Amino acid sequence: MKKRLHLIVFGAVLLIPYLRPGRAMAQVDPWEFEVYPYATESRGTIELETDNAVVANGHSKGGEGTAAGTFRSQGMWYNQYELTYGLTDRIEASAYLLMASPSGHGYWYAGSEYRLRGRLFDPETLPIDLGWYAELEWHHTPQFDDADIELELRPILEKDIGRFSFIANPIFEKVLKGVGVHEGFEFGYSTGAYYRWMRYLSPGVEFYGGAGLIDDTDPLDQQQHYIFPVIWGELPHGVEYNLGPGFGLTRGSDHVIMKFNLGLERFVGAIFGPSPESGWFL
Amino acid sequence: MKSAIPTLFAAATLLVAFHLFSGRTAAEETNVASIRFADHHFTPQTLTVTAGEPLAVKVINSSNETIEFESFKLNREVAMTPGETITVRLPPLRPGTYDFYDDFHQDVPEGSIIAK
Repeated sequence: MKKRLHLIVFGAVLLIPYLRPGRAMAQVDPWEFEVYPYATESRGTIELETDNAVVANGHSKGGEGTAAGTFRSQGMWYNQYELTYGLTDRIEASAYLLMASPSGHGYWYAGSEYRLRGRLFDPETLPIDLGWYAELEWHHTPQFDDADIELELRPILEKDIGRFSFIANPIFEKVLKGVGVHEGFEFGYSTGAYYRWMRYLSPGVEFYGGAGLIDDTDPLDQQQHYIFPVIWGELPHGVEYNLGPGFGLTRGSDHVIMKFNLGLERFVGAIFGPSPESGWFL
Repeated sequence: MKSAIPTLFAAATLLVAFHLFSGRTAAEETNVASIRFADHHFTPQTLTVTAGEPLAVKVINSSNETIEFESFKLNREVAMTPGETITVRLPPLRPGTYDFYDDFHQDVPEGSIIAK
């Protein structure tokens, strides 16, 4: 009887690694609390942007809340630099540098990302303006994400009604290398509603979240969902900003996050000529 | 746990697709107006249009500088190289005043589109 009990305990210990939940789901990208609009960067224009998020009230263990690696989310500063160039009137290319400062652990490189984003047709051609987004995420930084390489795809939907804009970015993410490579697509979203009040100061509300794998979503209390009331606008000298507090809506979310994004654009010269007005992709 | 979210998303996508392919495109039945940029200012500075009708604004950059034709209230932003002409399509506007300006040159006087 005692020998049988030992076998059961030994078997249970062997099973532990397989019983833990899958990888820390990363459909909520804490480096990028940003909703992408239909409009792309103007042709020949370059934009330097820094996106920042500080977890004011988060989780105390790695793999929880916005922390998808070994560091805990509490006190984490997610710091991203994004360089975007308008290739054509409808397509832009971006490169990102991801940095992070876990509370009390210095300033770390946390990955890089490369993306193409485009809009289809011209505004007002379709009842809803449509765009697309394809991104390759390169991590190799298990302190922050247990997946090494990921692919992220987003359709972009925008509808302007008067001075209101409603934007939705459903997010589909697939691990190409690292933990989770044999799993399917994860589903997340970033979406927002904005009112154009004044050029320098306007209100909006943004929502971010992730549900886990499309075919096997996480229990609701383990999913992350956030609401961010934001202010946004353009300051003198063309400095654009978007900032506000984010509040977690589930137990699996961090509780309070402060985000502040700043961007500056300049015309540097176009590689390609104007896109044809009758075109829809290039 | 199986959740309703993917199903809801699929349903929303189908609704959007239905709306896209059943809707009349706003590009139909459009009035056309023109704005020219030269000598560091827009002409006309005030453009009066009919409210409630789709509008296409042809913007001509006759200057020798690159500008960014932008309107905050209309949510439009397009960079234009010297000599370039673009068409900015707008939905039916409510009566009111809508700004436009050159975002690359803050000293260029702001213009306005007045929908009546």
